[in-house]
Amino acid sequence: MTQSKANDPADSNEARLSRRDWIFLPMLALLTIALILSFAWLIKHMFFSETPESWKDCLVLNDPSTGVRGIPNSVCRIKSFESPMVEYRMNNCGHRAGMECVPKQPGTYRIVMIGSSFAEGARLRREETFAALLPGELSQKTGQKIELYNEGMGWGFTHSVALRFNEVLAAKPDMILWILTPVDILSASTVSVERGAYTSRMEQRLAGHPILVAAYDRLSEARNMLTEYASGNKELLQHFLYKSQSLYLSAYLKNDNEAEAEFLRVESSKTLQSDLQQAEMDAESIEGQAKASGIPLVAVLLPNRAQAAMIAQGEWPAGYDPYKLNNELRAIIVRHGGIYIDVLPDFRTMPDFDKHYLPVDGHPDAKGHAIIAHLLARELTSGTVPVLKAAAQPQASSAQER
Amino acid sequence: MDAASFQFVAFGLVVALVSNFSRSYIWRSIVLFSASFLFLGLLAHNPVVFLPLAGFLLLGYVALILFERGWSRSMVWAILAVILVYVWLKKYTFLPEETFLRFPYFTLGLSYIFFRVLHLLIEAGDSSEKRPIGLGAYLLYTLNFTTLVSGPIQRYDEFARDQFATEPIALGPRVIGLQLERIVRGFFKVNVLAMLLHAVHEDALVQLTDSFSPFSLRILAAFRLAQVYPLFLYANFSGYIDIVIALARLMRVRLPENFDRPFSAASVLDFWNRWHITLSTWLKTYVYNPLLLTLMRRISSIALQPFLGVLCFFVTFFLIGVWHGRTSEFIVFGLITGAGISVNKLWQLGLTRALGRKGYKALAKNIVYSSFGRGLNYSWFAFTLFWFWAGWKQIDRVLSALSVADWFGVWVIAWLQATLILALWEWLRPALLSLKTSEGPVLTSRYARVVYASALVLASLVITLLLNQPAPAIVYKAF
Repeated sequence: MTQSKANDPADSNEARLSRRDWIFLPMLALLTIALILSFAWLIKHMFFSETPESWKDCLVLNDPSTGVRGIPNSVCRIKSFESPMVEYRMNNCGHRAGMECVPKQPGTYRIVMIGSSFAEGARLRREETFAALLPGELSQKTGQKIELYNEGMGWGFTHSVALRFNEVLAAKPDMILWILTPVDILSASTVSVERGAYTSRMEQRLAGHPILVAAYDRLSEARNMLTEYASGNKELLQHFLYKSQSLYLSAYLKNDNEAEAEFLRVESSKTLQSDLQQAEMDAESIEGQAKASGIPLVAVLLPNRAQAAMIAQGEWPAGYDPYKLNNELRAIIVRHGGIYIDVLPDFRTMPDFDKHYLPVDGHPDAKGHAIIAHLLARELTSGTVPVLKAAAQPQASSAQER
Repeated sequence: MDAASFQFVAFGLVVALVSNFSRSYIWRSIVLFSASFLFLGLLAHNPVVFLPLAGFLLLGYVALILFERGWSRSMVWAILAVILVYVWLKKYTFLPEETFLRFPYFTLGLSYIFFRVLHLLIEAGDSSEKRPIGLGAYLLYTLNFTTLVSGPIQRYDEFARDQFATEPIALGPRVIGLQLERIVRGFFKVNVLAMLLHAVHEDALVQLTDSFSPFSLRILAAFRLAQVYPLFLYANFSGYIDIVIALARLMRVRLPENFDRPFSAASVLDFWNRWHITLSTWLKTYVYNPLLLTLMRRISSIALQPFLGVLCFFVTFFLIGVWHGRTSEFIVFGLITGAGISVNKLWQLGLTRALGRKGYKALAKNIVYSSFGRGLNYSWFAFTLFWFWAGWKQIDRVLSALSVADWFGVWVIAWLQATLILALWEWLRPALLSLKTSEGPVLTSRYARVVYASALVLASLVITLLLNQPAPAIVYKAF
């Protein structure tokens, strides 16, 4: 056996720490961490400030008989950390419609739009939303005077829409445009948002065991607090990290605590099947009423960011299919007499569309809304909706005459 | 347990702690032996999967005993047998598929075990002074969990010097602090930096190969693709090496360094002295030098001798390339790596001939020349790595995404960009290190190290918690 020489200078006796360093170095480590956390906090509050979500000023959030609904003639001003200050001004019927709740002008083709926060234009000024942009595009394409009365409402998932469908009919539409998103289906039965927009898979499993739910909530809170504290600001970091398509997508797909990615899986879970059943019941009710009133109903699924990214890439991991929910919804809508327009394949031709979602919040930004307006206008006038196609032809022929 | 994961670090720290319960080499060896076997057990639960590896180790050990007992005439055959079995177990695609074993088996770290076994056999055959290596020491050396997965490739004598020392190397608070800081740095490199760089690479790949991407998006993606992979690979591999070197040091064993600021190299020749150093050294010792000596003995022409060196460089670095993988892409990687180093050597010879030795040395020291050399080396390495990270299909998609002229433009600009950035870094680094106190540079003082180690711990924890997904696996683990 040998003797191993200590030829590393750090091994020598003079490299021993002084007593002062035993105290000073740990303090320095703590100070560094405290400074970084404070700096992160400062950045967040300087550049990504947010107002408390005062939805209660303009929405009734917990009335199970109607679902979430707007308070007539109310205003909320809310700034989320990724959006500018946004005003949500409700009209005399409690809709963020950009117009009063009055009968349409003669000669005007009125579309009433329903759906949840995508349709409502959450996180955006109203004039930037596709609800505001679409009538202009449609009028231009068809030569008709078209107005869009927006009854889209945050948390207006399928059952809420069904509960308040009388409001849709009261607006005397010529056509109903139902904007669906994955979360509308995953939260189909949600009509009250006292405890958050939708429940996690674990919460769903624990449902019926109030003590376990409470314990899980406490644990979740503690975990969230710890994460937030350690990160200085969780959302701030996510905002930057999730700008990467691949990081966002893998984080989204691998986050087993959320039920959200379930709709992308080829094999539907029982929870998703039950959500789809609820959505179908609501669709049956909504489409039945529309049909009885002689109003065409057109439904469309807009993708969430992960879905848009997968479609844009044109390939996805085994066991996933971003088109699956689209196919299921088409079958449901068509089965009950509605018209389904399919915009998902259009996202294949837009490789960076997923950049037009707010990275953490998940709603489309202004550019995203403009693109959606354009896509919807194109699909609605392509012949899928006979009335709008029929209206498009005279304009085309008059253009030729000119 | 993935290499460089939090679990791996925790495992290593616990082993290091237990190892230090006694300074006795017997105790430390028992701990290392148990930990290495436990590590293997954690990687695969079915003992059957280890049978081929056990057979390979046994073959090596039997050959070693034969050499030790004077059967050195059979050395060439034994070495060939070890190489053949290695190639067969690794399922190199040029072998008929029907000959391969049909059941799944454990090959993690086999390449590194192969290098260690060959090293032992060659040294045992060459050495006049025979020092028998017992089975325990053999297994301890070949299966050492700190070097099993991706090296570094340590020489046996260096391993034995520290592992079996009656008076092991010192381990004071300062050394422990430095090693903990190195573990943090390595963990950050693998789990944060490499993950972010990997994401940049993946995003660029998607944008470049998507037929619907507009030209502007594709050209920007091509720039990112032409630049980012070497950084990712460096963060991924050197981060892992940082962790294992530090863990081994905490167990009172010094592992050899595997990296020496590789992107500071101003030539391809210099680069391979700084990148995966233990592999390059191994091949220089056991391939380049013997081959050069043999050729020089056979070809006596003085005029040809410099070119023999070029040929030997080509063969050595071709082998480095081929070692990396079993498929034809790695043959191309080996060919272009070998070609790059040979052209560099020829360039060096040509300039020396044209300018004289002194003139060439002066030119090599010229800041503009070395800066452009640095940028060229980086870009060349990034280019060769296309055959390292991509399969033929992907290479085809990547290269056909832009025209030849566009790609040429991308690489020229990538070269200039790398030149500028690396020149800036080469200027900045000494400038920062020149800030000194009486104890040395401020930035390498224990205070500065504590500050950035704390920042890295926080960043690593937060980002790994937030993203809630494993970082890309250690690339060299697959080889």
